[in-house]
This record gives sequence, C-alpha cells and structure tokens, in this order.
Amino acid sequence: MSDKQTSILILDDEPIVSKRLQPALEKKGYEVESFTRSADAMARIAERQFDIVVTDLKMEGVDGMEFLTRVKEQFPKTEVIVITGFATMATAKESFNKGIFDFLAKPFKLGEITSVIASAEAKIKES
Amino acid sequence: MRNLLHQFGQIFRRKEQSTVPFKVLFADFKKSLELNNLILDLIADANDKLSGDYIFDEQYIHTICRQLTDLVRELIVIINHLTGQKYSDLFLSFHHIEEDLEAVLRGKILFPVKQFILPYAEVSRAHIDAVGGKNAHIAEIGSLLNRKIPAGFAITTAAFMAFWEENKLEGTVSEIKKQWHKKEIGVQVAAERIQQAILAGVVPRQLEQDIINAAVDIINRQGDDAALCFAVRSSALGEDDVASFAGQYRSCLSITLSNLPKAYLEVLASLYTPEVMEYRLNKDFRPEEIMMAVACQLMVPATASGVLYTHDPVHPETESMIINSAWGLGEPIVSGEVPTDHFVLERKAGHAVTAMAIVRKEESLVLRGCGAIDNQPVREDQRTEPSLKNQQLQELAGIGLQLEKYFKRPQDVEFAVDHLGEVIILQSRQLHLQHKRPPRACDLTGLSSKYPVLVSGVGIAAMEGVATGPVWMMGRDGDLDDFPMGGILVARYASPQLAQVIHKAAGFISDIGSTTGHLATVAREFRVPALFNLENATTVLTSGEEITLDTECLTVYKGTVPELNYYTLHEEPIEEMYEYRLLRRVLKKIEPLNLFDPSGDNFTPKGCKTYHDLTRFVHEKAVETIIDISFYHAHHRNTQAGQLVWEYPLDLILIDVGGGIEGEHEEGIRPGQISSVPMQELLRGMSCPGIWDMSPSKVDFSSFMSSLTRTAPTRYTRPEDVGRNLAVISAEYVNINFRLGYHFTVIDAYISERVLDNHIYFRFSGGVTTTTRRLRRARLLVEVLSHYDFLCEAHGDMVVARLKRMDKKSMLKRLFLLGLLVGFTRQLDVKMIHDVKIQEYFDQIKIIMEEDNVR
Repeated sequence: MSDKQTSILILDDEPIVSKRLQPALEKKGYEVESFTRSADAMARIAERQFDIVVTDLKMEGVDGMEFLTRVKEQFPKTEVIVITGFATMATAKESFNKGIFDFLAKPFKLGEITSVIASAEAKIKES
Repeated sequence: MRNLLHQFGQIFRRKEQSTVPFKVLFADFKKSLELNNLILDLIADANDKLSGDYIFDEQYIHTICRQLTDLVRELIVIINHLTGQKYSDLFLSFHHIEEDLEAVLRGKILFPVKQFILPYAEVSRAHIDAVGGKNAHIAEIGSLLNRKIPAGFAITTAAFMAFWEENKLEGTVSEIKKQWHKKEIGVQVAAERIQQAILAGVVPRQLEQDIINAAVDIINRQGDDAALCFAVRSSALGEDDVASFAGQYRSCLSITLSNLPKAYLEVLASLYTPEVMEYRLNKDFRPEEIMMAVACQLMVPATASGVLYTHDPVHPETESMIINSAWGLGEPIVSGEVPTDHFVLERKAGHAVTAMAIVRKEESLVLRGCGAIDNQPVREDQRTEPSLKNQQLQELAGIGLQLEKYFKRPQDVEFAVDHLGEVIILQSRQLHLQHKRPPRACDLTGLSSKYPVLVSGVGIAAMEGVATGPVWMMGRDGDLDDFPMGGILVARYASPQLAQVIHKAAGFISDIGSTTGHLATVAREFRVPALFNLENATTVLTSGEEITLDTECLTVYKGTVPELNYYTLHEEPIEEMYEYRLLRRVLKKIEPLNLFDPSGDNFTPKGCKTYHDLTRFVHEKAVETIIDISFYHAHHRNTQAGQLVWEYPLDLILIDVGGGIEGEHEEGIRPGQISSVPMQELLRGMSCPGIWDMSPSKVDFSSFMSSLTRTAPTRYTRPEDVGRNLAVISAEYVNINFRLGYHFTVIDAYISERVLDNHIYFRFSGGVTTTTRRLRRARLLVEVLSHYDFLCEAHGDMVVARLKRMDKKSMLKRLFLLGLLVGFTRQLDVKMIHDVKIQEYFDQIKIIMEEDNVR
C-alpha cells in the first residue's frame, strides 16, 4: 500500500472535532471521512475499510467502545485511535485490550493527533 | 498621626496573632501562592485554546470552569484562614461570578455593558456581544484604523433585552415558534405574527430617552451643512459572520429624531423574517444568541456611493479587486436596482485599473433635507461620467487592503463619497468567495518542495493562520511607531510591548516566547497568526524580505505562496463554531483584570468582577498579611530568620523558608551565606557600581543606600522597628518588601529550571518630590521594563510590571535589572528635573546591562 493515500475515518458526536480535524488532516494529504452519529459510521465501515479510525468513546447511541470493537473484528489491520474527554484508567485499559493503537485525552493539540496518526501510518506501511 | 496610630495598632494586632505559629501561617501563604499560580496557569491555558491549535469540545469548557471555580473558592477559604476571616465578603463576589458563569455555560449571553447606548468612540471588539459585529467593526475602522466613518452610536443588546422583557416577548415568540416547529403554521405566518408583536411593542422610556439624547448629542456636534437625520441599521449578533444573513435585515434611511424609536422597532422586527428564521434553524445558532443590536449613523449626503470587494468573489485567482459605484446614496446600488459603473483593479501595489465599464446613469437617490430621500434625474453632463475619480479608486484600494489585513478575511466594503470628495466607510464585512472547485486542504501537500522554506518544524503556534508580508525586525528597523501596515514583526522575545502594533501586523514571529503570554492572548483576540520559539528567526530572516508564515505547519516560506493564501481565504473562521464563541464568553467572566491599583477605590472584595480579580486581590492581601506577621515574628528565635550583614547598611530581614540560607547565622547573615539564587541576583544589582558615576553630584553608594533603607539607627532598634525591609526567600523564591517612608516596593519572583513556573512581579510607588518628577520616574521605569520584556501598567506614579515564563538565565538577568532599579529610582525622583533625563538614564541602564552581559 505504498503510494496509496492513507484513509481515515473520524467519529465524534461533537461536530467541532471533525470540523477542525478533517481539514487539518486533509492538508497533510490524508483522505478523510467524518461522522457525528455512530450509526452512520457503523454503516460506512460495513461498506469499506479505513486504514485508520479515530473515535470518541462516550457518545449517544452506539457507544465508541462498541464501535471500535466492531472495527477491530472486521478489519484487524485497521489502527484505532481513541480520543475522549473522560479518560479513566479503566476505559484506557479496556480499549488497549481491544488492540487500539493509542489513546488521546481531549483537549489535544492538532500536532499531537497528527503525530500519533503519522506513527500509526508508519506501522501500517511496515506491515 | 492617624498613620502612626494605625501602625501601633498593627503591631498589637500582630502580637495577638502570634499564638498561631509562623510556620503554619506561612504554609497558608505558600498554599495561596500555589493556588494563585495554578489559577493563572489554567486561565492562560484556556485562552491558549482559542489559538485554533487545539481540538476541544463543550465538555472541556465545562470542566475548566468547574476546576477554576473550585480553586478560586479554596483560595478564598485560605485567605480568610490566614487573616481571621477578614475577607468573608469575597464569597459574595465569588458567588455572583459563579452564577454568571453558570448562566453563560447554559448558553445565556451576559451583556458586557449595562448601557443601552454606546457612542462609537467607546466601542471596540471587546463589546461585540453588546453592539454586534457591524457596530464593532465600523467603530474600530474609525478609531483604530483612522478611516472616516459616519458619526454614530450603537443601541446595545442590553437595550434589546430591556425591550424584550418589558413587552414580554420571550413567551410570545417561543409560543409562535413552537407552532411553527410543530408545523401547525407555516414560516410565513409565524414570521408575520412575531413581527407584528415586535412592532406593537413599547420602547422602554429610559431607552427612548437615551436614543434621543445620543442622537441630539451627535447633531449638536455637526456643522451647519450636515444632514440631520439618521440611518438605522441592524447589527445582530453573528450577522457579519454568515453570508446568508447579509442584506436580510432591515435598514431604515433618513430617519428624523422623533422617528428613531419607531425605526428601531422596524429593524428589530427584521430579526424574524421567514428567510432568516429558516436559515437560523439550519445553522449552529442557539435561541439565546438571537439578539439584535442596532446601529444609528448620521446620514452621509453622498454624491456617490458604492461597494468594494477586495477579491473577485467568482474568480479570486485573478488577484483583483472590484468596485461598483453610482451617483447618490448607496441603497439602490447595494440592492442592485440601478446600473453601476464597474471597475477592476489589481490587488498588487500600484492598483492599476485593468477594466472599467461606465454605464449611463439616469437617476440617483439623493437626500433632500431631513427625512426625505428621492430619486432625481442625474445632471446631463454627469450621466456618462465615471462616478469615481482615479484618485478615489486608488484610495479605496488602499483602504480595502488595510481592512482585509485587519479583519483577516476578504472584505465587502460599503462606502460613500461626500460633497468634499472624501471617502467615508459605511460598513465592512467578510466577503464570501465562490468557487467552481473550492481549494481543498489536500492541494496543499508538497508545498515545501515547491517553495523555498526558510524555517520549518520548530516553534509553537500562539495563533493559527497564514500571513504574508515583509519582515520587520524589532530593534533593527526603527521604533515600533514606524511599524508598517501589513508587516510581519520578527523579534527576539514575544514581548508584551509588541502588542501595540497589533492592528497593523499581519503576523508575529519570535525567537523566544510562550503561547500563554500577553502577546499571544492579544494575537488571538485580533486573530493575528503568531509563531513563537523559533530560536533563531532573528538571524535566519532578513529585514524587508517578503515571507509567508503558516503557523499550523510551523513553516516560514520565502516569498508568497498563493495556494496557502487561497486556501485560507476559504477556510471557515473559527468564530463560526459555537464552542469558540462559548469559550470566549466564559473567559470574559474569568480573565479580565479590573483591579490594578491596590490603593484604588475598587480594590475591595466588592470590586472583584472576575476570577482573575479575586485571585489578584487574595494575592495582594496574602503578601500584605504575611509581611505584617513577619515583622513581629522575624525576631522569634525559632524562625529561620536573621538580619543581612552587608558592607552596605541595608536594613533587611531575611526569612528563609527552605534552602535560602546556608550555615550558622547567629550574628546575622552575610551575603555569601545566601543560597537563594534570585536574592543573590537582586543584591548584585543593588550593589552594582558604575551606575552612580553618571550622577552629576556624585553620591557615594553607602550613603545613598543608607538614605534609601535606613529607618532607624541600629543601636536603638527595637523588634517592632526593624524588618521594615523584609525578604522571604527560598532556594528559588524571593518575596521582598521595602517599606521606606513614602516608598513601597514589592518584588515577588520564582525562578527555576522549570520555565513554566518562572515569574517576576514588581511594584514601585511613592516618593517625596513633585508629582511631575515622580511621573517622569514612572515613565522611565515603564520604558526600561518594557524594553526588557516586562508587561507594565502605570497608574499615576505607581508602576506594576510582570514577567513570566522565560528561561532561568533571562529571568535572572531581569532580576539584576530590578536590583539596579531599586537602588536607582529612589534618587531619580529628586533628579528627574527634565524629560530629557528619561532618555539619559535609560541609555545608562542599557549600557550597564550590556556590560553585565559580557561579564
């Protein structure tokens, strides 16, 4: 998958997250789709695979944990990055057990998430 | 005499307090300092989130408010513990602020001002929630950018609320809206009913009076030939940000004095047209944000009017500006009812006219005396003449670019030309560009291989954005007064004094600087891209060189990068997001500092209007209290304290709270025993030779120090009398208080390897000479301290200076400077016989500082 654009799906029920993140990541050359409703994101991953998924944990409807579990079941190679404002040790541990790539507490800097994404991308390209 | 009694009273009171061990009280004091720093850090961090560099959500805003509320409450508990419940009134002010904050978090908009009317001279962007964007912008164009604007005033959102409440409109409107949302009635009917309710409302008496008074005030200041009627226009919250609102609201022209209240209602009613109601439904607008301020402007009897676009909205890539104009008043031009002359100008300097189409203009709308506007036939000879002269086109192009630089977006500017041929700006708002294919972020990849990169990958963004302009090097390219419009300011330090050119600067770059400093805050307020901590920007960049700064990617390009500018023009402004607006609003209850002068009338618990005020008040009182207590306790044999034994007779009591003094000090403390680094540096500055050589009547240092610090002959010293000069020190901390007759100096400094914790606070006031000399001394202090990057406030002859978050070496250098100044300023008010002296002394201090650098 050397020259292919890396694809990223963003899921967060707070619209501001996608609004800020999507253009910033596109500016870096990624292909980005973003969702504020977990049902929509769920439907989208039924259609295609993303290289990287960035998701919040606590949302209405389908919970972020449920969503990332589904993603990892379906596409074990997809790297999942969790972003959440309610970071507890328990949730962090649980999501790492599900095989996520990294965990970021909100609020975070654009630079922080782009560097996490860059290392996830590097890992994908290695494999 | 009263003073003396008061002092005795203080001594007795201190004795009573002595039952609580000093160490316990000092623990309270230290805790208060810790909380103070924590609170100020949190406030600074919250402001930092406005830079655009962070992703945060509403949850974050709630969390930060809750944390601050808890910390400030704890601080108030502590100061009351330290002072025996002396400041329990602080809880009252605290609760008021807390309640307001809760309301803002629920979405309520608090009115930054209570007045119904604000004249343009008093309006700035800080009032945007009170006066709306249109008023705030036009007022700034007049006051900050020095362009001609119509005389006018804003009718505030506080007035709107008063009208709304008096007529109980909230219930009426929400009932009608509910029916509309349930689809029981259509939007047309809903809009009509709400508008009727508004038009049938009664303008509160006080508001009506205020409007008339403000208008009369303007009329009285006009010459005989001025038109004495008004244009009444909307200035709704958020109106300027959103393209689709533009032109939706009502404007009433040529309104006479007595008709102003009626016109006011007509403009308010346009807040509920069917189009606007539909639009708001689809946008990120909360019901609480639907409010309208109104602009009242004296009519300009325009001979010609028009609209300027600083970009071609359909083909922005052509780098041109567009002007449409015609004879007479502007209304038919704006609404496209009359044919207009069309000019296309190049954006680049010179602004050559690249296309021009002059139409035949049969009629124009003119102001015929008060209250009457009419369509009149245009004079035959003017019909085919261009409605703008070349010189006016050039002037407009210049103004357009200035406005664009200032507001950071392409502008849509309405203007008029008066009978003298002068250009008057009527309003300026963001111009929304259209594109067949809007630029996409991914088009920007690979820019660094296309354009020469001067700096990349270093530094921190204090404000996100893209700026293009010539480099202007601080210190090398002249005074800040000479800073050119649209320049990019490059400086060694992100010093607070740079903020004075904020309305001219396209961007800021510094070698050293923090995103939580004053300059960063101001850059965010004015949305000026700022990149700090580039380490060697002042050596890598060249004066006058055109550069493009992209703070999001931490990159500086040589020359212009059209793709970036282009992309930025299309980006959605941060302000369109509710979270940013909310954060700005909560910060207004948290961040502003109103308590400057501890001797000021408002320096009371009741005077505290923000969390910052409360924190400042407590800090001041904590320092004051601990000093009072220390005077007595300093001689208690169990405290780690002693008198400084120095070759200069400085009556200074040192209290060590950890690692500030080494070895035995039964006989007093010698300078060599002081291990407090900040204290050492201060003493070094105070004992600096050389500084006195310039004195025309040579003053030897010992006798000077003696007059400075000696308060009583040593052999008669009683415990109550000594220690009027007191320093509480630790390895990394000094809090020094000189109380000398009429002088009062405070220095509070913490300096360590942890840059984030470093701070210096300096206060100096008092003196025995004439006010003029003391004011000169204050000016000298401000000039010197600002030069060395302190954030200064001068209130009369009192000077307060702050400095934060520089590295240890830079901080120590500045403590040395304070040492110099403390020694120096006492003699200054005697010698400050002429303004010229300020520069003389300033130069002398700079020389000493330079020499010390070499040392």
